Parts: sequence; structure tokens; C-alpha cells
Amino acid sequence: MRRPGFLRRPAPWLLVMGLAALLVGAGSGWGETLTVSQPNQSLYPAPDFASAPIAPVPVGSQVSVVSQSGDWYQVDFQGQQGWLHRQAFPQAKGPKFNLPGMLFGAPVKETKSDEVALAGKGFTPEVEASYRQSHPEMKFAEVDRVEAFQVNHAKLQSFIKEGGLNP
Amino acid sequence: MRARTLWVAGLAAACLSAWGCGGGMNYSSVATIAAKTGYQAAQASRPINDSEEYYVGRAVAARVLATYPLCQDQQLTLYVNEVGQTVARKSSRPNTYKGYHFAVLEVSEPNAFACPGGTIFITRGLLKTCGNEDELAAVLSHEVAHVANKDGVNSISKARWSSVLTTMGTETAKQYGGVAGNLVTLFEGSIDDVFKTIVVNGYSRSAEETADAAAVVTLGRAGYDPGAMTSLLAKMLAKDKGGSSGIFKTHPPTSERLAKVKSQAPETKPGKMEQARAKRFKTEEI
Repeated sequence: MRRPGFLRRPAPWLLVMGLAALLVGAGSGWGETLTVSQPNQSLYPAPDFASAPIAPVPVGSQVSVVSQSGDWYQVDFQGQQGWLHRQAFPQAKGPKFNLPGMLFGAPVKETKSDEVALAGKGFTPEVEASYRQSHPEMKFAEVDRVEAFQVNHAKLQSFIKEGGLNP
Repeated sequence: MRARTLWVAGLAAACLSAWGCGGGMNYSSVATIAAKTGYQAAQASRPINDSEEYYVGRAVAARVLATYPLCQDQQLTLYVNEVGQTVARKSSRPNTYKGYHFAVLEVSEPNAFACPGGTIFITRGLLKTCGNEDELAAVLSHEVAHVANKDGVNSISKARWSSVLTTMGTETAKQYGGVAGNLVTLFEGSIDDVFKTIVVNGYSRSAEETADAAAVVTLGRAGYDPGAMTSLLAKMLAKDKGGSSGIFKTHPPTSERLAKVKSQAPETKPGKMEQARAKRFKTEEI
């Protein structure tokens, strides 16, 4: 049986094998370690927000992915296994095989100056700063105070327990 | 022979560019431009994201606080935050970009506002209307549901959001040095849209009923009495003298709402723990 003309030459084979190696190489290990990039994330014992959180997972934490179930990742975080919702690392959206990511690399990091135009963030701290300049009557300092008010985790747990509520 | 050489050279260049080495040609720049173009195309119709929602919410909260004074009672603020955090973590959206925050406004008129992103205000007037902790939890669960359902941020007009996306994609914005003036105007308009909805006009009836249903579920998950939603609505309905202002304008307690909630969570006799919670509610200086 005669092979098609273009496959009789070695170059196309090299091209096919090279691309295959590229795909396999880039695909291996992807998704095994993820970095939490969103604040206020917690490790849950089950893939369910209604379950009582095991521990907070701060921004910048690295977790090892054990398995995935829908929008939830079973992860190992500092020796503890639990579930983290996909929102903890929006960069990990979608299936593990990510062809555009493999072809074009990680998301483009922009400098601050062109953040608005290219990073796709319409309303940013810079926009807020400009708005504040023209609206000094708005009480942003009080908003900062409201946001800074924190409930201690242990205190909340005892509040819940004393009230016969669900942890 | 020449064709074979070209093939091999092409393959090498493709591999080198894919690994970011360039291979003598500026392939990485081409890939970057392609990535940017593709990214912008994907942005063209996207909804508002969590961080944008947060910045809108901050500005709406700043406007609310420019309208109504903030309660300075730290003990009461702590208590409201404890109840709020207890229900927020059992809601359908337990985590927002910068978390939930609860505060009391020194206003005698009963009302509550949920700013996009998770800052929730309750007036002293509404705190007084609540007869116990479970009813306070019902109010806060309802407001958390508005945040979870993005009812506030969804009130930004579609045309305005389309303009934001268009502005983001223009070269003008890129060359402006970080912040396009038009974006600030659109930001201001968005704050107007949300403020008018949550403070002046109120949500749609369906948004209210959806938030009621979500609050009933959240109350049950948190261990509060879901029937507190029913008793609170009944109380508000009895107080309603025509719905011209305050919560009667922004969250109209209609008999239809009450009937729906009643079917989801009938009132029950208070249990032992509910009484304990009611006791700690009374110790707060509301």
C-alpha cells in the first residue's frame, strides 16, 4: 500500500511528532499544584458550601489537587485534605486540557498603565481613585472602617455554639 | 532537499517559539498579540466580575454612608456581624471577593440595603422591628441572598455595561495612562443605577420572592428557625401603612410574599435554643 506523497518525506513526520511531544510535554503535570488567588477561601470537608469549613486558605497558598468534582477540587493543603471551590483559583477554569493556554502560554501579565485596556478590568482601584477625587462627599473612609471590622474565627464558633446553631 | 530543509527549519522555529525562545524570529510577540486579541474578544460580552462588583459595591456603600449616619456602637456592630457571618457562610454564595461585612445605620425608619460584593446595612429601626435573633438572621439572610443573586449589580443598565466593555477595548483607554475618563463616568452611572435600585426604588417582586426563598433555606442550614422569615414578614405587613417609604418601598411586604414564605416555612413555637438566642438579642442595646 502506497503512503500519500507528503508522508513519504521525513519532514512531515518530524512535524507531527514534534507537535505531539509539545502537547504531551505541556499537558503533563498541569493542574497538580494550584495557587489560591482569591481571598476569603476555606477548605471544606465535602464539596458543599453548607458543610462546616475545616480551615481558612489564605491568598498565595499552594495546594495539591487530588481530584476534581464539577466546580470543586479535592486538595491537599498543608497536610490536610479537603475541598476547595473553583472560585479560589479562577485561573484553573475549565478542563485540564487547555489548548489555548498551551499555545499562547499563561495569561498575559500587564503593567498597571495598560491594565484597564488590556487586562479586562473595567472598574479598578484606579477608577475608584478618580471617582473619589471628583466626589469627596462620599464616605469611603467609613466604608474602609466597615470592611476592617472582623469577627474573630474562634469567637464566631463560640457564638454559634452558644446559640445552638450549626457550625 | 531544499523543501526538506525548509520543513525542518519551520518545525524548529515553531518549537522554539512555543517555548518562548524566539528562534531568531519574534514569534512570541505574535503569540502575545494573538492572545491579547483573543482575550479582548472574549471580554466583549462578559458579565461584571467579582472584583468589579466589589468596587461598585464600595462606592454604593460610600454613597449610602454619605446619606445615612453609621452607628458607632462597636458591641452592637459585633453582634450584627456575628449573626450575619453565621448566615452568610451557609448561603449559596459564602465567599465574595472581600467577604461579607455588616453595619448598622442610625436611622429610625426600618430598612436594609445589600451593596454589591457583600457590605450589608441594617437600620436601627429595622433592628427594633425584629423581635429576636432569628428574625434578625432572617433579615440578614434575605440581604445576603440579594448579594448572592447579584441583584444589586444586575441593576446596572445593560447599555452602560456594554459601554464599559467597549471602552475597555479601545486604544484610547490604553493610551490614557491607566484610567480612561469615560470609564469613571460609566462607573458613576453604574453607582447611580445600583443606588436607585437598592435605596430608592427597590428590587423587582420576583427578586424579592427569590431572596425570601433563599433566606428560608439559609436559615435552616444555619440552625435558625426558618419560620422567623414568616413571622418577620407578617410583622412588617401589619406595620405597612401604604408602602410609601423605607423598607415598605424597597422591600414591599406584600401578602403574596407572606403567603409564599408561609408555605415554605410555617411559624413554629420557639424551642429552647431559640429562647436562648432571643435572650442574648435582648441584652443588646438596640
